[in-house]
Amino acid sequence: MATRDARYERIMYPVDWLEERSGLVGGLRYFLFRKVPGDTNWFQTLGSATLTAFLIQALTGSILAMYYKPDPKNAYPSIVHISNDIWAGWLVRGMHRWGASVFIILMFLHMGRVFLFGAYKYPRELNWIIGVLLLALGLAEGFTGYLLPWDQTSYWATTVGININGTAPFLGPYLAQFLQGGTYINADTLSRFYAIHMLLIPGAIFALIGLHLYLVIRLGVTSPPWSKHPAGSGPLAPEPEPPRSGLTRPAPRRGVRG
Amino acid sequence: MAEDRIVERQRVFEQYKRDVKDRGKPFYPYAMFHDTVMSFVVVVVIIGLAVIWKWTTPDPHTGFGPAGSTDHPDQAGWLGKLYDEPADPGTISFVPRPDWYFYFLFYLLRIFKWPESVILGTVGIPTIALLLLIAMPFLDQRAERRPLHRPVAMVAAILAVITMGVLTYRGATARESLGTENLTHVPSWAKQQGFANNPVAVEGAKLFAVVGCLNCHTYLGVGSHNLGAPDLSAEGSKNKGIAFQIAHLKCPSCVNPGSPMPSFANQGAKNLRALATFLEASKGGK
Repeated sequence: MATRDARYERIMYPVDWLEERSGLVGGLRYFLFRKVPGDTNWFQTLGSATLTAFLIQALTGSILAMYYKPDPKNAYPSIVHISNDIWAGWLVRGMHRWGASVFIILMFLHMGRVFLFGAYKYPRELNWIIGVLLLALGLAEGFTGYLLPWDQTSYWATTVGININGTAPFLGPYLAQFLQGGTYINADTLSRFYAIHMLLIPGAIFALIGLHLYLVIRLGVTSPPWSKHPAGSGPLAPEPEPPRSGLTRPAPRRGVRG
Repeated sequence: MAEDRIVERQRVFEQYKRDVKDRGKPFYPYAMFHDTVMSFVVVVVIIGLAVIWKWTTPDPHTGFGPAGSTDHPDQAGWLGKLYDEPADPGTISFVPRPDWYFYFLFYLLRIFKWPESVILGTVGIPTIALLLLIAMPFLDQRAERRPLHRPVAMVAAILAVITMGVLTYRGATARESLGTENLTHVPSWAKQQGFANNPVAVEGAKLFAVVGCLNCHTYLGVGSHNLGAPDLSAEGSKNKGIAFQIAHLKCPSCVNPGSPMPSFANQGAKNLRALATFLEASKGGK
């Protein structure tokens, strides 16, 4: 027995080392073994599904960034190269292209679920607001990413998109100028969109997702509102006494439950 | 009263925490199992879409798709083209169509007219929608969470979903006219507007038909009304002059602050003059 304990201690030593210095193991344990309401259901997986879609975007985007060239001369050929020549390049680009749609659909579904469950109410208001900001940033990712293939569709859709930003009162013209890197769409516009698409917005999204999850863990998730006994409604009533079962069995004695 | 409500909701949240502690189940393995299954489904769906996109697109390089196809970006599979023709700032014979999740915005801009109300479509309504979403927890402070007991919230949500759905559908099915189809209208335009004897205006009309003006403007019943762009059938009746038209085509937002119209400066002086002549000759038709 003693030898087994010693061996166990040796195996677990790195974990103890890490825990002693960081407390991360305890944090992970808290995360994994924290209680959630017993009646949570499948609809409440939409948040983590959205996170998964975002992580796929981050991963496939990083791979695409290794081959993509953000200047007007080389952008289009590099997309053609990725799609046709690079091993599994079509798969990575296709996952990024369609993962974007899946990500946006899941954000909307997740938001719909939170709305339906009334989960944006006290004390989770702040997390709802962070979620709305994430939705806006997700759409901004869609807008900036659309230009990057530098084909006719993306070029003209973005030209008009920037012009629409420019119609906003007060800030509009400045926003349009910032996006374009000048008064017109030009060579700098592409690299600017690229930097915004792969550094600025994803950085903000990562930070906000961190906050979002922190608040989910801190405040807990809600029971479905139609649950017979949602968390927050008080402890379960004690089991009712079985009724007298007629003449063949005696009525159970009160107060001596098994 | 308000204080009572604050105390009450704090009490309910304390009760929530006690209930979860007493009757809840640990996140691992129960909830985490559901999350893992769902995430797996997401990954499979995304890979599936990528595969369908590629495999249904004819492409000789990879051997996927039907045999005997050519390497032309015009070849579209079930999910659309892999990529379009390379960007060409010189030709605007192209429909500025966004990705599908912006179709609602795209279509919204057909509803509002330039210049009076277009800003409502471009900035006004999206901004109001975003602010309403952010403000929602403060607009709805009741503790009630059961959908059937929140009729106002549920009706608002259903209306919002229907609106988004209809706008997206209309945006997706919005018909665009092709430059070559538009060219066939030029003789009829020349006759109706009476500029058949002006070769520069006829040349301008041909350019007008193919460089993409009709993607956003309408002209004698042809074209699509996009982004709040006005009908141009009677543009010439305003008598703004050829110089103004050229300046406007070169930089629409310089002449018309806030205009979302792209610059046509790439067309060159000769084409711009032809387009301007055509516009000035457009007096509304007979």
